[in-house]
Amino acid sequence: GLLVTKCGLLRHRPGGGGAYWVDSQQKRYVPVKGDHVIGIVTAKAGDVFRLDVGGSEPASLSYLAFEGATKRNRPNVQVGDLIYGQFVVANKDMEPEMVCIDSSGRSSGMGIIGQDGFLFKVSLGLIRKLLAPKCEIIQELSQLYPFELVLGMNGRIWVKAKTVQQTLIIVNILEACEYMTAEQRKQALAKLSGN
Amino acid sequence: RQPLSSCVAGERLCSTEEATAGSGTYTRHGFIFSSLAGCLERKNEDNELPVVSVVRDSESQLLPNVGAVVTCKVCSINSRFAKVHILYVGSTPLKSTFRGTIRKEDIRATEKDKVEVYKSFRPSDIVLAKVISLGDVQSNYLLSTAENELGVVVARSEAGVQMVPISWCEMQCPRTHTKEFRKVARVQPQFLQT
Repeated sequence: GLLVTKCGLLRHRPGGGGAYWVDSQQKRYVPVKGDHVIGIVTAKAGDVFRLDVGGSEPASLSYLAFEGATKRNRPNVQVGDLIYGQFVVANKDMEPEMVCIDSSGRSSGMGIIGQDGFLFKVSLGLIRKLLAPKCEIIQELSQLYPFELVLGMNGRIWVKAKTVQQTLIIVNILEACEYMTAEQRKQALAKLSGN
Repeated sequence: RQPLSSCVAGERLCSTEEATAGSGTYTRHGFIFSSLAGCLERKNEDNELPVVSVVRDSESQLLPNVGAVVTCKVCSINSRFAKVHILYVGSTPLKSTFRGTIRKEDIRATEKDKVEVYKSFRPSDIVLAKVISLGDVQSNYLLSTAENELGVVVARSEAGVQMVPISWCEMQCPRTHTKEFRKVARVQPQFLQT
């Protein structure tokens, strides 16, 4: 039989063979193959970069795993840069490995995240909510200010708006969305767009 | 045999004209030196020179030689190799475990490029392997499982139950019926105990 190993809300999807999963307010990320995450470069070791992804071990990223990278044309990655990539190897026995290209060799939005902007951490449940199609929070925020947003499945969000003040406002709203109801959020946004 | 006397490592015992070097000794510049700290033994042979050997604890340490089949336990895996602890040499247990390495290209004899270490071994598997090199001072024994009779013999599934082999590359858990990939050893039927 199926046993629950985590506390939270039990969800069920009846279609296509059925699936059960548990929604929880977990903040600790466990690398999973195929997940897109934001990593911070901590070291360069030969042909490989070490990235902190918030898991138990640093992930490795080969310098050839970028679009258009060859042995002569190395990507310009420094320690402290932010990288958006996906896991190709992620299990409990080995160190996770990441790449910034998909199976056909194109970057499809992955790679080094640009300068400026703000990186912060939220719970994994909020990330999944924001990644759902037609998420209300994102739609409402986009009517407030234009901004760039990168969501990592490891609980990390990167935001960049035109000014520092706008960036910080968006950061504060996203952080507060964990605990606000839809009504409270609409009120807060109405107050901000009124100002 | 002569009465036992003790010696230390590096002690010069005699010249190679008086005796031949046995276990626990080595020859340099025409003399026999001891390489262990222990008891000196001299065995008199009738036709040849006596054999001089140094013995510790009255039991000689069994070292794996090149070509010996060893039983080891996987302690960690990597995308390039697996690190193991060597527990038995043949059928004799070792008092202290040695460390070995099984490189990715030595896991299988065929299709060496398509091998994935994660689909051949997992930590805490018991593996039969053959020693292919003794290694240097710093490196471990180099082992290989590139034969049908070598590979994983005992493995636990993710549920913690001992798995049953179903082919040379798969094992199945009897409780959850999930299949996991391993490089399974084809053990001769006379060695299996039921």
